[in-house]
Amino acid sequence: MTILIQLVYSGIALGMIYAVIAFGYQLTFATSGTLNFGQGEALMLGALVGLTLVDTLGLNYWLMIPIVCLFGLVQGAFVERIGVKPALRIKSEFGWIMSTIALGIIFKNVAENLWGRDDLKFPSPLPEAPINLLGANVLPMELLVVVGALLMMAAVEFFNRRSIYGKAVVATANDRDAAGLMGINTSLVITFSYALSSMAAAFAGVLVAPLTLTGATMGAVLGLKAFAVAIIGGLSSGMGVLVGGVILGVAETTTAFYISTGYKDVPGLVLLLLVLAVKPAGLFGKTAIKKV
Amino acid sequence: MQFRFKLMAGAVAFALSASMAIAADPIKIGVSGPFTGGSSSMGVSMRDGVRLAAAEINKSGGVLGRQIQLVERDEEAKNERGVQVAQELINKEKVVATVGYINTGVALASQRFYQDAKIPVFNNVATGTVITDQFKPPQYPDNYVFRNAAKDSIQAPMIVEEAITRRGFKKPAILADSTNYGQLGREDLEKALKAKGITPVAVEKFNIKDVDMTAQLLKAKQAGADVILTYGIGPELAQIANGMGKLGWKLPIVGSWTLAMANYIDNSGANGEGARMPQTFIQEPNTPKRKAFIDAYVAMFKPKNNRIDSAVSAAQGYDSIYLLAAAIKQAGSTDGPKVRAALEDLKTPVEGVVTTYDRPFTHDDHDAITANIPVFGEVKGGRVVYAYDSDLKAGSKVREKAGATASK
Repeated sequence: MTILIQLVYSGIALGMIYAVIAFGYQLTFATSGTLNFGQGEALMLGALVGLTLVDTLGLNYWLMIPIVCLFGLVQGAFVERIGVKPALRIKSEFGWIMSTIALGIIFKNVAENLWGRDDLKFPSPLPEAPINLLGANVLPMELLVVVGALLMMAAVEFFNRRSIYGKAVVATANDRDAAGLMGINTSLVITFSYALSSMAAAFAGVLVAPLTLTGATMGAVLGLKAFAVAIIGGLSSGMGVLVGGVILGVAETTTAFYISTGYKDVPGLVLLLLVLAVKPAGLFGKTAIKKV
Repeated sequence: MQFRFKLMAGAVAFALSASMAIAADPIKIGVSGPFTGGSSSMGVSMRDGVRLAAAEINKSGGVLGRQIQLVERDEEAKNERGVQVAQELINKEKVVATVGYINTGVALASQRFYQDAKIPVFNNVATGTVITDQFKPPQYPDNYVFRNAAKDSIQAPMIVEEAITRRGFKKPAILADSTNYGQLGREDLEKALKAKGITPVAVEKFNIKDVDMTAQLLKAKQAGADVILTYGIGPELAQIANGMGKLGWKLPIVGSWTLAMANYIDNSGANGEGARMPQTFIQEPNTPKRKAFIDAYVAMFKPKNNRIDSAVSAAQGYDSIYLLAAAIKQAGSTDGPKVRAALEDLKTPVEGVVTTYDRPFTHDDHDAITANIPVFGEVKGGRVVYAYDSDLKAGSKVREKAGATASK
């Protein structure tokens, strides 16, 4: 039993890492129907910028977070303006796919040149000794990841539901043309949603960096897993990415233990295929009818 | 950025030294290794060791009155890059010999070009057992592949000897990564355990970049393991140590020499303390030669905390150039077949930092390091130190290749 609890804890911590990144996918998809495939790289940049602030400039971990979030906002807006907006303007169906991937690769190469390609240690802001919960061990940092992720998602949801700017976002997400007719600057809203999604990723980066290692290549695997989570949970549901993340994380750790460590990544991907076959909109997604 | 500057500084230094030696063409030696990426702490240390040796030789007049010129290429630990680099060094740069290779896979993919071109290639770090066997006589009349690193078939029995015989553990669990390096090493480990009549209680796999090792460790724990044997590289090994810290389940780690990598030591911190691994060289100035090497290295490259990132790679890189220079000197030529013949029959011993190479190679034996040379290192206080005081004390007595005197 203890073992199962331990596996579930680790799975949840891992799943929440995926979920925060997946949340970023969901933010941009809702407003513009596009995705930032450089989401993993946004996470990596956030973590590396955070590391430079903490390690080189000696800033406190908690004070560093707002600066990294700001950096994420700017980086996301940049991606949207350079990569996505031109594609949307010419009504290109798939241009944004290539341009966000391309920007992701460029960011990775720049990071390799600035920070090197080695994996670096991110100093943990919390004690590294594990805490015992119901007979299994958890690292304080893992708890922080779960709490931080939940808080951030709650904040964004709150913003969208309660503030007038958030209502503009929701309106754009529901019907971009109608929102435009109502006087909402939908193009600005889309830029904003990209900025927000990169901010989520950058924040996720500094959250998970003390657990994973930090380095230019950290985004690739995490970004891909997060994409699977977004598909499993549903690209239109905030609740979906949470559940999807936890499902994938727990599936990975339990498969590794009960089946074989060599097949760790298989059930998550089988689940992905199953979801696509049975409920393409994701477990929590709403099926949208596309009128032609 | 820093890397760029170093490169530039290096280039300027070489340009200067080249312009001083107008009298004779420089001797071009290729250096191929991963200078970026997860293996870079080994690659860069190796390259710096090579640079140091070349600078020393050049300062004392070079070889055959000619200066050594290094042609360095980063193959990023990728097989296909390694192949490109090999072809470029041979065909365009016309190197006399190449030293390098950190990664077994890259070595196996690239060194055939040297074999075909009849140019010696000197593996100074890669440990895959098959590397020196790839073009072994009698299938091939002459083998151009040499090595001065402790191959895996030496290391795996050493790891088993340390864990089972010396420290008395009975239930080892093996954790190896899913690359060629990890899986070939795992086979060697299982073979060595079998020779002692022991079956590992768990054999688990992990992927490069895995961030969670809970399942692997829980399986080992469930199976009642009392020691963890590893075959992997720094970052993931650090995740294993950190995972054990999280589970509050502290077992001794004994593994291949990569546990000495800086990115294992730094990323695992307190969790990584006490890990033991075979080492051909430990940064401890216990002979005058080693002291001179360490002092010169630290002064020239200023590593963080005066700790050489991968001391083994630096030392073996350094020695490889001296061995090569000795062979070129003895051959009186830079002609590939003649240098190879000289390497196989070195008349004067070469005093290196790992050992004194007294007839290190013969026609059929291209491995300079034998099982009696490596000692056990231990991670302690963020550095690698001698695991046994007896080795530290005996360290000043250089261990020479076994059977070297017999073959004389």
